[in-house]
Parts: sequence; structure tokens; C-alpha cells
Amino acid sequence: MAHVEQHPLAGEGESGVQVGVDERLGGKIPLNLVFRDESGKERRLADLITGPTIIVPVYYSCTNVCNYLQEGLARVLPEIKLEPGKDYRVLSVSFDEKETPGQAARSRSMYYSAMKDNFPPQGWRFLTGDAAGIKQLTEAAGYRFKRQGRDFMHPVVSLVVTKDGMIARYLYGTQFLAKDVTLALIEARQGKVGTTISKVVGYCFSFDPKSKSYVFNLLRVSATVIILCTGSFLAYLLATGRKGKKPGSPRPS
Amino acid sequence: MTSAENTAPVPGGFWLDTGKTGIRSWIFSTDHKRIGMMYFGCVFGFFLVGALLGVLLRLELIAPGPTIVTAKTYNALFTVHGVVMIFLFIIPGIPASFGNLVMPIQIGARDVAFPRLNLFSWWLYAIGALVVLAALFTGGGAPDTGWTFYVPFSARTGTNVSLAVLGVFILGFSSILTGINFVTTIHRLRAEGMTWTRLPLFVWSLYATAWVQILATPIIAITLLLVVAERVLGVGLFDPGRGGDPLMYQHLFWIYSHPAVYIMILPAMGVISEIIPVFSRKPIFGYKMIAVSSIGIAAAGSVVWGHHMFTSGMSDTAVLVFSFLTFLVAIPSAIKVFNWVSTLYKGSISLEAPMLFALSFILLFSIGGLSGLILGAAATDIHVHDTHFVVGHFHYVMFGGTGFAFIGAAHYWLPKFFGRRYDETPALIGWIVMFIGFNIIYFTMQLLGMRGMPRRYYDYLPEFAQLNLVATIGSWILVLGMLIVIVNLWRGLLKGKPFTGNPWGGATLEWSIPTPPPTENFEEDPVVTHGPYDFKGAGVP
Repeated sequence: MAHVEQHPLAGEGESGVQVGVDERLGGKIPLNLVFRDESGKERRLADLITGPTIIVPVYYSCTNVCNYLQEGLARVLPEIKLEPGKDYRVLSVSFDEKETPGQAARSRSMYYSAMKDNFPPQGWRFLTGDAAGIKQLTEAAGYRFKRQGRDFMHPVVSLVVTKDGMIARYLYGTQFLAKDVTLALIEARQGKVGTTISKVVGYCFSFDPKSKSYVFNLLRVSATVIILCTGSFLAYLLATGRKGKKPGSPRPS
Repeated sequence: MTSAENTAPVPGGFWLDTGKTGIRSWIFSTDHKRIGMMYFGCVFGFFLVGALLGVLLRLELIAPGPTIVTAKTYNALFTVHGVVMIFLFIIPGIPASFGNLVMPIQIGARDVAFPRLNLFSWWLYAIGALVVLAALFTGGGAPDTGWTFYVPFSARTGTNVSLAVLGVFILGFSSILTGINFVTTIHRLRAEGMTWTRLPLFVWSLYATAWVQILATPIIAITLLLVVAERVLGVGLFDPGRGGDPLMYQHLFWIYSHPAVYIMILPAMGVISEIIPVFSRKPIFGYKMIAVSSIGIAAAGSVVWGHHMFTSGMSDTAVLVFSFLTFLVAIPSAIKVFNWVSTLYKGSISLEAPMLFALSFILLFSIGGLSGLILGAAATDIHVHDTHFVVGHFHYVMFGGTGFAFIGAAHYWLPKFFGRRYDETPALIGWIVMFIGFNIIYFTMQLLGMRGMPRRYYDYLPEFAQLNLVATIGSWILVLGMLIVIVNLWRGLLKGKPFTGNPWGGATLEWSIPTPPPTENFEEDPVVTHGPYDFKGAGVP
């Protein structure tokens, strides 16, 4: 068994179940942590997370769900109409401290070729790190995993963080919808580019924790429109009152 | 509307006073009375169609097993009966027909605020109705979902649901526009001296209704579009297999359709509030409370939709809250009933046809309302949910209430517009037969439901056979009574004795103008100096 997909909001995490996610929305991941990139060079997270970023906790030697997760991402990223490397970044982070930059580089070449290399070279980084750094990062994210022999039990979830490391959204599962990822990134952008539109979009779409997806909040939008329209209609009627007619004026012929 | 060409109403008034001739003088007229007449003709026609379908339904249920139609046809029959009765008859019934005919006159206006929009509303109604009718005979055949169009079945059935809901969508716009028109008219076009506390209670009820139409109808419109999207595009909004939620449909549907119940009943209550004081020769008891209770019913009635879903899998908290809110609606409803009864007390009651229908309204509505509390209480609802008890309940409210008020209003106001009147004796006989037949069919249905007979079932267990036979016989008696009433009214309006002046002795403005009313109602804009039930002030003996 290499993974679990347990309900993230079950709340059992803090009471002893070892694997799962305690959502820490609004919490921050420490940006001073140092990881190694594919070439083995040490990098501070602060230098890598320079805008909205998708963080994908995996281990590269995973034979199972981590592949599906990154494959799902590789499938959806080209569909996202934001500019990778500029509007957003992707970081795969291994939570196995024994893994090497060499393994990370192999993963990188696999998913880049899956995307037909149609992705900026710095857009998706594959990191490895030491036990202390991994612990700090995963704890900050509420991400609980457990080594089991050569494999790991771990939740299947990605994080979307803002420029300053604040966790904006958890994206569950191995399948992504371009809309979900885009909206999470817009949310993580915190009103930098295209403020108005993204705020409106943010109002119209809300996150459904059950289906773990963004849904168009038809009720909220239509109710607001209806109430605004009828409210101003009533206000107008009350303000203008009865139409002034001359009493006893004759009927026009 | 057909009566204009081939009959000779008492000459004058809006029947002759027009530049155009023939059918064009009707379907392009912006006169609120002509539009009201056209609405009346249409909704009345659909009432007869719906009633015929209802009789066929009852006939099928006369005995267990197949009787006159197949199971599939039965499903289509009860769906079409519901769609026609709800969307084509009872929702536009009183507000669009009698509201148009009477309301502008009652507030001393020459027409509604937007006469062309008013005509457009009628056109939308006519087009919507045609689309609904087309859905019955095209595509995969008449819808078989029930009038509620519940998903997932409505998203999957091969019958012509898409076209039918499109028709209902168009009808919804007609309803919204009428609401906007009436609200504006009541705010803006009241005559000098027609203060808010001098508004006839029928106008108050239309005012409350219009706001419900404006606020709630857009929701059903959006919901029905979503059903079409579900069917045509397969978006999966209501399909749990694709992340959707069928319960959401029920919420959206009832957010409109429960307030729509008050669109149906409030104008009927308004009619009763007009008839009772006039035929008791006594000012209405508790004018302000009746007026405020209309608004109260509209407001409270807008937040009780969940009581249709007690067995659908809502949380217990939601069930409790909706159950409590439902009980609240009983308060303004009871205020009205008590005030009507108090008006009768020591009145000089004259039992002419409008009054007979009004009195039976009070009784039948009360039975319907009280059985509604049994359904509104979550514990008892579990037992009778989706049984014939529910069918009996809402027929008591909708037919015994609104239907009887509609017929009462026709006897009360149509003579004013035709200048001729019906005969009292056949009206009395017809009313008695209707009243007896009505109670036989629907009270029996409530008994059947208590004993566990589900609604919308084609077949049933042998132990229900006897009561079903009784109910079906009741339906024949009811129809016989209706025929007597309708034929008598129709003959009277076309050929009956002249009806002039103010024979009922009403104090509202429509009784102060010539019969039939002229095109713009008033020779001079009136100045109102007395309340709507101030018979002395109006100089009525």
C-alpha cells in the first residue's frame, strides 16, 4: 500500500491518525527552508516561490499514485491560460529525504516530455531535501505521511500557496480540472494582476469542500442580481411616490 | 374573448369603444380590461382542459389495475394535469385576469402603468402556453415527470421535458412582467386620496403577490434552464455521478414553487376580502391586519420551501427550522380567516352566488390549511408524505380555495364587465352540487392517504378500491356542479338580465363607474374620500 486518499476534513488527524491532511488554509509555509533542485544546487524556497505556486508533495520512486498525480498535472498545465513561470510556478517536493537530485531530474525529464517540452524550463521544479526541511514544510502544510518499508503512506493532495507562502487552497486527487487550478491560482495571486476580474470571478465561484472543486455559485450570483434589481426598483418607487395628477382633470379624448 | 364578436353586450363601454375591429382589436389592445378578458378566456379554457384531465385520472383509478389508459399514459396525464392547472390556470388565474380587469379601476387609474408591457405579458403567456401544448404532442410525447420535473428522472426521460420547461420558462417571464407592472401601477397611479390604508384588500393581495412573482419567479426560470442544460449538454449539475446534487434541484425548484403557492392563494384571499364585507353589508373587520397579513404570508411563505423535502435527506436541523417556519405561515392565514368570520358577525348577510363561493372558500381553505399543518409537522409528514393525503390537502387549498374564489370572482365582477347577469337559482344549485362533489372526492383522498395510498401510482392494493370508487364518483358530482355553474354563468353574461348600477352594493371604485366600464374607466380622475368598505361614505344603502 503506497497511499491513502482519506477524507481530508475528517479531523482525525490531530487525534492520532498518522496519515492525512489538516487543512491550514491561511497558514504559512516557511520560505527560508532550503531544498536542492534537479542539478543538486541548494535553493531557498523564497527564491523559488516568487508568485502563486502549486506545491506537489510526492516521492519520485513512488510506483503508484505520485505518478498519477504529476501526470494529471502535466495533462492540465498546458490547458491553463496563465503564463507558467510568470503567473505561476509548480514545485514537486520529495518527502523522502533519501532521494537524490538525480531521481528528481529523471522525473523532470519524464513529465516535461509528457508535456512535449511545451513548458518553460523553470516553470516546474523538482526538489529534494533533508529530513528537517521536509518535516518543517509538511508540518506547516498539515500534511501527514508515514514511511512503510520502501514506500510511503501519504495523502494525495497539492497545495496552492501565495507569493509569501500563505496556503490558499488544497487540491485533492490525481485528476485536475483546468478551471479548478486556474481559480486556485487566481485566488493565490491575491489581487495582483487583473484584480477586478479575478475578484468578480472569486465571488462567483466558491470552493466546495465536499467535491473539492470550485463551483459556480449560481445561487449567490443570481440572488445578488435579483435583490439588487428589485431593491433599487422598490427604492425608486418609494422615492417617487404617487404620480402627480391633477384631481378632477378630464379624460383625454 | 370570443364573446366580443358574436354577441351583443349591453352597448357601450370598452366593448365598442375602440379604433380597431375584429380580433386585432383584442390581441393588439393595450386596454387593461380587454387584456384581462383575454387572460380570463385563456385561463378559463385551460381550467376546463385541466379539469377534463383530472376526471380522466380519477376514472383510471376507479378500480385497481388497468382501466382506461396505460401506465405510461397515466404518468403523462397527471403531469399534464399538474402543468396545465398550475402554470396555465392557477398562477395567472386571478391576478392576470381579475387583477387586470379590476385593479386599475379600484385604485382610480385609467390603466396599468405600462399598458404595452401588459399586452406583451399576455403574448408571452399565450406563446408559453402554446409551447407547453406543443410539448405534449411532439418529440418523445407528453412529459411524464410530474409537474415538479424532479431530477434525475426529468434529466433522463425520453419524453418532451425540454420543450415543456421552456414553455414554463416563457410563462415565468409573463408572470414577472405582470408583477412589475402591478407594483408600479399600485405605487404610481393611485388616484388623489387613494392612500395606502384606503386600498381595497384585493389590491393589497395583488401587491403582495406581485412582489413574490418578481422575487421568486427568476429562480424557477434559472432552474428550468439548468434542467435543459442537463438534458441537452449533460453538464451534470444534478447528477451525483458527475459531482452534482439532485437535492439542489429540489431546493431550487421549491424556492420558487412554494412561494408560488402564495401567488395562487393570496389573490384568492383578496377576492374573499372584497366579497365578504359587500355581502355582509358591513365594513371589513381588521382591515389593517388583513392587509399586513398578506405581506406577512408573502414574506413567511418565501422561506418555508424545505417542508416539501422532509423525506429527501436534509439535515435534521434544516427539517426543524423549515417545520417551525411553516407553522408561522399559519398565523397570518388564520388572521384572515378570523377577520372574515368576524366581519360576518351581526352582518346583514345576503347569500348570492359570490357569497356562497366565498363562504365555502373559508371552510375548504381552513380544512386545507389545517391538513397542511399535519404535513408541515415533520413527524407526521414522514407518514403521509407523497400519499393521497397530500393530493387531497393541496386540492382543498388550491381548488377549494383559489378555484372557488375564482368562480366567486367571476360571479361578482364579470356582470360588471358584461352588463348582464346570471340566474341565481341555477347558481345556487350548481354551487351545492359542486360543494358536495368536492368534499366527496378530496376528503376521500385524504382518508386514502392516511391509510397509505401513495400518489402518482397507476395501480393500488385491493383494500383501497372502495374509497377510490367513492372518490371517482365524487369527481363526477363535482364536474356536474361545475357544468351547471359554468353554463349558467356563460348564458347569463351573454343573454341574461341587464346588470347596471351597483346591485351588490360595493363601496370600491369599480361600482362608481358606468357598466360596462368605458375604455379609460373614469370620465374624470376620481378623488377618493372614503375607505373601500365605508358603505355609508360611498352612499350605498
